[in-house]
Amino acid sequence: MIDRREEKEERKMKLKVYADRMSQPSRAILIFCKVNGIDFEEIHIELSKRQQLSPEFQAINPFKKVPAIVDGRFNLFESHAILIYIASAFPGVADHWYPADVSRKAKIHAVLDWHHLNLRRGAAGFVLNTVLAPLLGLPLNKEAAAEAEKVLTSSLSTIENIWLKGDGQYLLGGFRPSIADLSLVCEIMQLQLLDEKEHDRILDPHKKVQTWIASTRNATKPHFDEVHNVLYKLKLRLSLKQSSQADGERKSGIKGPIISKM
Amino acid sequence: MIGKLKVYADRMSQPCRAVLIFCRLNGIDFEEIKVDISKRHHLSPEFTEVNPLQKVPAILHGNLNLFESHAILVYLSSAFPGIADHWYPTDVFKRAKVNSVLDWHHSNLRYGEVNYVSNTVLGPALGRPLNPKAAAEAEKVLLSSLSKLENIWLNGDGRFLLGNFQPSIADLSLVCELTQLEVLDEKDRSRILSPYKKVVGWIEDTRTATNPHFEEVHNILYRAKKKFQQQRSRIAESGTETSNNMGRHSKM
Repeated sequence: MIDRREEKEERKMKLKVYADRMSQPSRAILIFCKVNGIDFEEIHIELSKRQQLSPEFQAINPFKKVPAIVDGRFNLFESHAILIYIASAFPGVADHWYPADVSRKAKIHAVLDWHHLNLRRGAAGFVLNTVLAPLLGLPLNKEAAAEAEKVLTSSLSTIENIWLKGDGQYLLGGFRPSIADLSLVCEIMQLQLLDEKEHDRILDPHKKVQTWIASTRNATKPHFDEVHNVLYKLKLRLSLKQSSQADGERKSGIKGPIISKM
Repeated sequence: MIGKLKVYADRMSQPCRAVLIFCRLNGIDFEEIKVDISKRHHLSPEFTEVNPLQKVPAILHGNLNLFESHAILVYLSSAFPGIADHWYPTDVFKRAKVNSVLDWHHSNLRYGEVNYVSNTVLGPALGRPLNPKAAAEAEKVLLSSLSKLENIWLNGDGRFLLGNFQPSIADLSLVCELTQLEVLDEKDRSRILSPYKKVVGWIEDTRTATNPHFEEVHNILYRAKKKFQQQRSRIAESGTETSNNMGRHSKM
């Protein structure tokens, strides 16, 4: 029997993950923890309600961003640093996630580094400036959307032609997924919020990318879909809106897309 | 035995300088191969073999070719013997913190600095029109990043990032990014940097901790700085824009 005080201490020591499942890097951490059977507590920080700006959360992460973790007295943010930390600090995480081999590890670092100003900047910028901005009450920025699209399509080409080269179906020719696969695929999943035509226009040219997304999703089920549920629900709401808008347009003969297209 | 390390670099590139200084400081035996961005050497088929993304820095070490400066610095810290622990600590907590600065850097300090400098000095030097809107946006990101450095990253007892007493690869990477501001007009550079006293002190400390290699590797940048200054005074004197062929820019 553990007494109350010990229980409290133990709860304090359990890994805490501060996340919003609408945030791509948050999803990567949650899926990683679940897939690897890591004992943790998920603490929801609702970005749409600006909870990341609360003084309590600022004490956890002065940069006011999710995801962030607290492990005992140790705080950390930046999803790649978190993934590396968890892979290194928790026993039982399979080697393929973050290999001990120095050369393979270095290649994974290279993808993780490349990601920030390429896929992430492109995908997040494009989705924000076409779909999410209106939902957040922000003005649409067509210029920013066009720029982001350029970066996004260029990044997808780079993944298709360079990063997915090799014998395996994962990044860097790997036969099993690494933290880089999880991070990048969660980022691309945000494109699910685009309307069907846009989504297909952007992703269709990249066959290897599509296969890779499916492989990663498969390798991390059922957690992948479970963690992405919030995103899927929003996607459904948006597509219902779009079809009722389309019906309205047909009936009235007036064109007026809810989601700005370039 | 693995072949000698080859480092493909253009010293006008901030991340290249970080890798070169790190190698020299740690007595790593390597060959520096110049890739002149201004002459578009990075687009050559030979270099594309080394790095299909056509960017510097890149390294070749035996069978490994690697690019992205942070990945390179992490690799070198781990692959070469005798490198002091403070550069990339083996302690999992300290290492995680260093990783978090390295991650933060890309979309913050680097993004702000590169876009500000290229939209005010380096871009125009290549005949690109001035883009005051882009420069203004970049400046916001740059100033916000400097503020985060001043008020968060440089908190603690030591004089380096994360309150450390000795520099890590994060200090080297970020300081080499900030030295690129040397090409700005002196007034502009001072306006941007001087409010951040800790940052200014930290740049000095990192320089001191890595000299004489720091100064030596930055030589090209200082020469470029002089050229830009002379050009600016010529323009000021003549009162007109002269067409120029500075031909030097950093593209990462």
